[in-house]
Amino acid sequence: MRQSRIKWHIVVFLAPAVLVYTAIMIVPLFNTLRLSLFTEVDQERVYVGLENFRTLFGDQRWSDSFWNALGNNFWFFFIHMLVQNPIGILLAAILSNPRLRFSAIYRTAIFVPTILSFVIVGFAWKLILSPIWGIAPGMMDAVGLGDFFQPWLGLEETSLTTLALISVWQFVGIPMMLIYAALLSIPDEILEAGECDGLTGFSAFWKIKLPLILPSIGIISILTFVGNFNAFDLIYAAQGALAGPNYSTDILGTFMYRTFFGFQLQLGDPHMGSAIASAMFGIILIGVCFYLFAIQSRMRRYQF
Amino acid sequence: MNKARGNPLNIAAAHGILILYTIIALFPVFVILINSFKERRSIFREPLALPDRESFSTIGYETVFNQGDFFLYFQNSLIVTVATLFFVLLFGAMAAFALAEYKFKGNTLMGLYLALGIMIPIRIGTVAILEMMVATGLVNTLWTLILVYTAQGLPLAIFILSEFMKQVSDDLKNAGRIDGLSEYTIFFKLVLPLVRPAMATVAVFNMIPIWNDLWFPLILAPSEATKTLTLGSQVFIGQFVTDWNAVLSALSMAILPVMVLYVIFSRQLIRGITSGAVK
Amino acid sequence: MTALSLKNVNKSFGAVHVLKDINLEVEEGEFVVFIGPSGCGKSTLLRVISGLEDTSSGEVMIGGQAVNSVPPAKRGIAMVFQSYALYPHLSVRGNMALGLKQERQPKAEIEARVAEAARMLSLGDYLDRRPSELSGGQRQRVAIGRAVVRKPKLFLFDEPLSNLDAALRMNTRVEIARLHRTLEASMIYVTHDQTEAMTLADKIVVLRDGRVEQVGSPMELYNNPANQFVAGFLGSPSMNFLPADRVGGPPGLTIGIRPEHMRLATDGRIQATVTYVENLGSDTNVLADIGDGAQITVRLFGQHSVTPDAPIGIDFDDAEALYFNAEGQRVNATSGAALAM
Repeated sequence: MRQSRIKWHIVVFLAPAVLVYTAIMIVPLFNTLRLSLFTEVDQERVYVGLENFRTLFGDQRWSDSFWNALGNNFWFFFIHMLVQNPIGILLAAILSNPRLRFSAIYRTAIFVPTILSFVIVGFAWKLILSPIWGIAPGMMDAVGLGDFFQPWLGLEETSLTTLALISVWQFVGIPMMLIYAALLSIPDEILEAGECDGLTGFSAFWKIKLPLILPSIGIISILTFVGNFNAFDLIYAAQGALAGPNYSTDILGTFMYRTFFGFQLQLGDPHMGSAIASAMFGIILIGVCFYLFAIQSRMRRYQF
Repeated sequence: MNKARGNPLNIAAAHGILILYTIIALFPVFVILINSFKERRSIFREPLALPDRESFSTIGYETVFNQGDFFLYFQNSLIVTVATLFFVLLFGAMAAFALAEYKFKGNTLMGLYLALGIMIPIRIGTVAILEMMVATGLVNTLWTLILVYTAQGLPLAIFILSEFMKQVSDDLKNAGRIDGLSEYTIFFKLVLPLVRPAMATVAVFNMIPIWNDLWFPLILAPSEATKTLTLGSQVFIGQFVTDWNAVLSALSMAILPVMVLYVIFSRQLIRGITSGAVK
Repeated sequence: MTALSLKNVNKSFGAVHVLKDINLEVEEGEFVVFIGPSGCGKSTLLRVISGLEDTSSGEVMIGGQAVNSVPPAKRGIAMVFQSYALYPHLSVRGNMALGLKQERQPKAEIEARVAEAARMLSLGDYLDRRPSELSGGQRQRVAIGRAVVRKPKLFLFDEPLSNLDAALRMNTRVEIARLHRTLEASMIYVTHDQTEAMTLADKIVVLRDGRVEQVGSPMELYNNPANQFVAGFLGSPSMNFLPADRVGGPPGLTIGIRPEHMRLATDGRIQATVTYVENLGSDTNVLADIGDGAQITVRLFGQHSVTPDAPIGIDFDDAEALYFNAEGQRVNATSGAALAM
């Protein structure tokens, strides 16, 4: 009987967090999904069902931009997976050697770009790669590669990859730290057992450490995926909302921003913006579900 | 050192790779900082040289101070960050305690509900957030940013803190109950002090993305009075894009506070990440 | 042939001198136990032998070959770790086979050896399980199996039973003894548990503060300890020490008598007050205060009704008494005359 009594302290403890979280995060999230089913006709909100999505995927004017942004986004993600994570793993593997001196200094220094804002990073690299200033061409000249210099950020073919690499430069500290932590959590005795079995250096890494840090690599991959598919700031800071040159660096985040707020001649459209947000939500949800059900459930987490 | 195990060549190679990457990581920051103290011609003529008596100039900083309201931006960033951290830590710890400590109906479900936000970025809901902020008149106030960042920070904070709170000994809390302490006293006086290291980790984790965010300040609070440092420098640089002295100085000024914070908190941050708080 | 010989082995970690001039020989087929209080350097000594640590000076020879600069895997040793250190991502089979694969043994050979070890350790049903699916005792056997398949010249055990519960510890102890008999291999075993040392060892090495205190067979060490430390360290309850002149011995010496060599006697040389009685069923330990805050323990066989706070007399057989000088060294001949009085 007394059990049905409401335990008020639990309510008090939970209420502030649940209220803020629900009101500012969950409700707007669903509202955005809902808004994507409406459109504005003569300043009135009208329900149109999936019409916005039909426009987004089917109407050439919209679908070209959407597929372009989506494709760019996948390329952006691909570069991260291909460059950021291997470099992060390499650095972490080196740093985790207990006999290495100054490792704290290296760790601290390599993590510096991660704490800088996209604005700083975007502009700093824009200046460095700028042919006007000449730092990059000057340095390439010094090592005899001067002829290879191109204004990478300004060229349609290279600007997206360049931005992705800048983003890799900025964020390599995160996989490095997470892998480093995972490597440290492998008990010394297991590595020593490996040493007695003749596994040292590279073979110890390949046959013992790497299998044991696979779960961390999985987590890093999904974090990268989510981060990349709602990226915006770096592109906006470096290339502006038009994601130039000629939309070659447009990703879903910038596409949604432009659609929502309008840019130059195009008027802002919150409903189409919501539709793009909903598509982003769907993509992220698919990615997260894929990770949870297809990858994480197959990976064992090891208790040492 | 260790004849049978270590290989000096490997160690040298390891240092080589790390030094190379450290240079790659720090070089852009270094170039920006040194050139911000040079006059325009030397910036272009010898971009890699340190400022000397001849090339030294603070003209860029003067422009920044005259044209931009960087102190106001800085103050805004500080208010938003500190207030957000306060709410994230307070509300997050309270909710984490409820989830970790009490068995109640729907505990797991509530935990899952709150964990959703770890993976789903809050930006997806921007359209509706803006509508709501316009409707409530909060747009272009610092409060709107504080609220949004609090909501954004809570899921991970609750997740990390409840992991830590589960480790606080039950005996301690029960001893408190037997001594007649209320649940609130147990939380504030016994549990909170014990999870302080975890709170520090959560604080540092939240601090950087909030300080550096461009999206929400740009959308929810772009007015002159509420610009954050990140947005302020973005706008400033956009306007002065051809004034290299000013751009470099503005970048340096944006780098400075983050670097100071990083130097103060880097041990906490790195310990937080490596303690496996986020897995 | 000697399986292992250590010559003047020293090991320092920075300013800390952990092993001091260790000299030791292990014969082929011998079971040697390193024992000592925690921090005495016994695990470090084992790691030096395995090659996981280098010597600071001195020579390590395994099977007649100097191995100072030979990596662990090529020393012909195999080690069983305290925490088992099984590879969590590999099956039992994979755990046992990894070292052999690394040696590039032929497949058939690997399979044969794994099967043999599995049979010997009754692991046949678990070969495809992962370590996390095994009980503590099974994991321990896998760790031993991983050592066995490599056919090492020398087995090294680092406190292998300390993570097992009491019953399992006894079983595994018997199993290790059996394994030693069947394999006829040389084994070095580190422990701080004297029961393990006494029951398993052909030869015990007692270490303290990085020095070898005494080497000998278990009974030699028990009956004939070289110094007060070894005398007090082996045996439970441990040996009683009193100033010799309290019981009519020569002044300046310490007398040591094992609890089981003491008996109750109303007019005994020691008068004491009972402070506590432990009834263990098979025997009874009587703790008594002999004044000046000094305590002695008397171990009586069978059950006795001794009540706390009662005054008792205690005596002992002079033949069982050991004498130590102020440095803790055993002294014998010189004090013989004094004892006869």
